[in-house]
Amino acid sequence: MKHGDLTILCVETPAPTTVRSPAIATAASGNTFACLVRFALANIRRRPERFVLSVLGIALAIGCVVIVRTISSSFAITGADSVTDVLGGAQLWAVPAAGVHYDADAQALVAAGPAPEFVVPDGWRAVRTLSGLTDVNGTKVSLRGGDEIPAGEAVLGSGLAARLGVSDGDRVVVGGQGLTVAVAGSGQSMSVATGLASTVVGERGWWTIFAPAGDEKRRDLGPTFGAAVGLPSSTDPSVVPDPAGSGLIYDTVGGTGPLTFEGKFSALFSGQVTSSTLGLISMIGLVLGFIIALSSFLAAVAERKREFGIMASIGLADEVLYFFLVESGIVFVVAYLVGVLGAGAAVALVIPGIATPMAWLQASAMVAAFLPAMAIVGALVPVHRLLQQRPVDLLGGR
Amino acid sequence: MLTKGLAYGWLSARRRIGEMVLPVVTTATGAFLVVIVFGMSEGIRAQSASLGHADEIGRALVLIVITVLLVGVVEVAVATTRTVAHRTRELGVLGANGVPRKPVIAALLVEPVVAAVLGALAGVVLALVTGFVLDAMGFVPTGVAVSGLLLGSTIAVGVSIVAAVATSIVPTWNAASRPPIRSLSSGG
Repeated sequence: MKHGDLTILCVETPAPTTVRSPAIATAASGNTFACLVRFALANIRRRPERFVLSVLGIALAIGCVVIVRTISSSFAITGADSVTDVLGGAQLWAVPAAGVHYDADAQALVAAGPAPEFVVPDGWRAVRTLSGLTDVNGTKVSLRGGDEIPAGEAVLGSGLAARLGVSDGDRVVVGGQGLTVAVAGSGQSMSVATGLASTVVGERGWWTIFAPAGDEKRRDLGPTFGAAVGLPSSTDPSVVPDPAGSGLIYDTVGGTGPLTFEGKFSALFSGQVTSSTLGLISMIGLVLGFIIALSSFLAAVAERKREFGIMASIGLADEVLYFFLVESGIVFVVAYLVGVLGAGAAVALVIPGIATPMAWLQASAMVAAFLPAMAIVGALVPVHRLLQQRPVDLLGGR
Repeated sequence: MLTKGLAYGWLSARRRIGEMVLPVVTTATGAFLVVIVFGMSEGIRAQSASLGHADEIGRALVLIVITVLLVGVVEVAVATTRTVAHRTRELGVLGANGVPRKPVIAALLVEPVVAAVLGALAGVVLALVTGFVLDAMGFVPTGVAVSGLLLGSTIAVGVSIVAAVATSIVPTWNAASRPPIRSLSSGG
């Protein structure tokens, strides 16, 4: 703010004593921003209805985007959780040729075919997990089979236990067999002994593979293991296995780029929302909101031509930008607050099942990231319009 | 008196048709989206079913399109504040001649209502054409529901008019309530 010293306040002649003048100068320059804010507030007070309307328009638009982003972050969180739940710290994930998919009712990843067959090379440790769907008291549940689970016991993730309303020691019936519930870890899956699981879901499942000790961080685990067992590997979760092949290995450590495998996996989930109709409509809404902001700023310029003519004629040309920046900053900040809070209330009322406070906060932060750009462009356009004209035209207009 | 106000408003609205282009376009965009979303709700439901939470996403979608329509209509109100500012002196003359407040407000509200109706109708017509063309060309496997299109059109037109009047009434009320001497001397 190097031109700040030129604001109206500083035109006041400093007191004649040399001792006092520096004190006044610092006080004045420190107040420049306060002056600008006061000036902007005075303008807002002069046309309160226009301020309210532009805030309303932008707030509605921001609200739209926050709602969509809340949904998409919530999906991203779900995606990241579901894949973390499956991997459990393993470096490689060998999925069947039929692939794996996220089942929305069971809220977990489910294998669509039998796990690939291979002989585990020396030094590697591979855990075969059966995976499929079952019904518990009318609720669709993701069922997994593991060798480490004792017979007669069902290990439920805390998320699933809450959904089913069961706790430690309760009984559930899976595949015609009564099991004792043990709640362990988070997640939405139920793990039972392999034998029981295979009677319910058949051979469907996947492998999670742990690298030999010391090699966990190597970037070529996927290709190395793939060559040893004859399966293709990929670091990109959007790659689906060839249905005619025998399976695919997802390498969760290797690959280029800053994103982790979990990050890429959750991006697949959120991308589904932002690239769907919802995302498109919210973007159109945001563009409309921005147009409203611009048109109301331009209307303000048209009304205050003479005022800006006076400013321009005493040499305040660039400073006009600051006036507009502060004004548009105030409009956008108020609109942001209104929009984010309104969207929070709306998602809590309309989509309580999807929206979590965490997703809402992530969405708000996301929207805050492009707010400054909008505010600055919103201020630049009217200033540009003003600077195109000579002061005398501005003064003579109307 | 009220009808005279409306006739006066109609005459001035015809004169200012150029000013209405932007609000008409923004309202039309919102109305277009509303009608399209209601008409293709089956396809959108199928799309959101793959994401899970189909019902909730459907509700969120309706919430969002209506909000976008409201954003479009707010531009109508912004245009009204512009009109009011332009016509301050004219309002002063009317007030000084003893025209009561209500006909003046009625005259000023003609313009936002015309803009909202024009915008909503333009959007609806565009959406109907788009819907039927897409349907005829087979781009929409789930089909376009005529009942959905009609429901969307009703909602679009209704919401536009109500929202335009609701947001425009405050600026026009303030302008019409100002003492004539202030309106006359403030220029514009």
